[in-house]
Amino acid sequence: MRLNTIKYMVVALSAIAILGSCKDDDDALVLNQPICSDGIQNGKETGVDCGGPCNDCVPPDFSGTYAQVDFMGRPGINTVLSATGEIKDAHNVAIPSEMVASFQSNFEARLEQYHDVYANILGADPAAVNYQPNILGDILNGPNEDGFTNNAVSATLLTTVLAADVLEVAPNHPTTYFNGGSGAPNYTNAVGFTGRAPQDDVIDVSLILLFGGGDGARFSGQDTDDDGIADLPRLTSDGVDLTATLSTEFPYLGAPE
Amino acid sequence: MKKSKLFMGLGAIAVAGALLVAADHIDAPGTTATTADIADFFAFEPTLGSDNTVFAIDLQSNVLENLAYGTFDEGVLTEINIDTDDDLVEDLVIQAIPRAGVMYFFGPVVPSETGATGTIMANAPLGSVAISNETAIVETTEEGVSLFAGPRQDAFFFDFFQFNSVIGGNAPEGFKPAGDPTTDADDDTTAVDTFDGSNTMSIVIEIPNSMLGTTTAVNVLGLPVYKTWVTTNTKQ
Repeated sequence: MRLNTIKYMVVALSAIAILGSCKDDDDALVLNQPICSDGIQNGKETGVDCGGPCNDCVPPDFSGTYAQVDFMGRPGINTVLSATGEIKDAHNVAIPSEMVASFQSNFEARLEQYHDVYANILGADPAAVNYQPNILGDILNGPNEDGFTNNAVSATLLTTVLAADVLEVAPNHPTTYFNGGSGAPNYTNAVGFTGRAPQDDVIDVSLILLFGGGDGARFSGQDTDDDGIADLPRLTSDGVDLTATLSTEFPYLGAPE
Repeated sequence: MKKSKLFMGLGAIAVAGALLVAADHIDAPGTTATTADIADFFAFEPTLGSDNTVFAIDLQSNVLENLAYGTFDEGVLTEINIDTDDDLVEDLVIQAIPRAGVMYFFGPVVPSETGATGTIMANAPLGSVAISNETAIVETTEEGVSLFAGPRQDAFFFDFFQFNSVIGGNAPEGFKPAGDPTTDADDDTTAVDTFDGSNTMSIVIEIPNSMLGTTTAVNVLGLPVYKTWVTTNTKQ
């Protein structure tokens, strides 16, 4: 009795194993058999749940005209430099070849507005606290003898470059959004403008270029009277680093949380 | 009196916050909370010495409540634009659009028209990939192009709430100092990545540079570059 029971169990298990290994197009009842409504292309289907034993595949419809509703080149440009909802909406449906003409003056005014915010907080005259040419002048053109830039990156020049809102990526070249290397005054090994990788701290770069002035640290929480309390605001770093998981393999971005 | 003023102030910050998420997340009234809202765009060399370029586009976001998130919209065409001659007009496009759980890719191809309207370049198919859930499904074409579409962690990092205080004139000290990212205990006094723990809907393509061709555009250092941007486009 007991032996027979075991025998039957072995036969039954073998049958399940054999049936379970059958291909999807068999008529036998099997576990996990592909069906024409499981939402994936499997079995002899030629598309998702179509073709082969299922209904004929209907080619996807790719007809029609599509109109631009959102735009992005460099990170944060529209968010930071467009002052109003109207400008932001206009930027999202604009094309790069027309952006300097459309947005440069607005961006420059916005850049000065940011400085006015801190002039007011610091009790200074807003007209006296303005953007100062940033570190790019020294990096790109070299410093002159008195340490100031030969070809200063003015507010107009900076916002002109940023208004043409495209992300440059250099083929066959290491990617760095921007890195000032050893920093002022020599900027040894400064690199950049070759793309944007997920780990690049684009916010700190942007803050340094907008608020860092000629040495990159103009507003960086300095304690000017040595009383242990910061006298200037900290505007050249937001204080955060990458928190998301990245992978060294495609698709490089971490699985959702 | 004082208390109600404080609450009004906080309310104003919250409203500003809903409108000012970066890098491109929720950047404008017209696209905020829509399925076409671009959150972010990356373009990079995947490994040192690689002959490929990776384009990663993040759409939508769940960083705040009540945003569109979780499903690619069949009415939204995502387009990578590539300028190879420095006139800021696209010479090549790569397009992606979902149909029935599959993301279809087209290009790189000269678009039938440049500018803010266009059509799907259906005669230039590149490949397709099933849209992933949590586990990444990846397709690699015979030409060596890798394709992905699905939810991913939002790689962007920014103390955006503090940014709103900064630009609102409510943060005399500016940004907060860096804190310990492994604990919440210091979050009131140190910087916090607003995007930690949030996801976006990502489209990622890795493509051999040979398929994009040469470029005469250069960056400020004189290096040849592709000048790129991404758009979302809705069917008219």
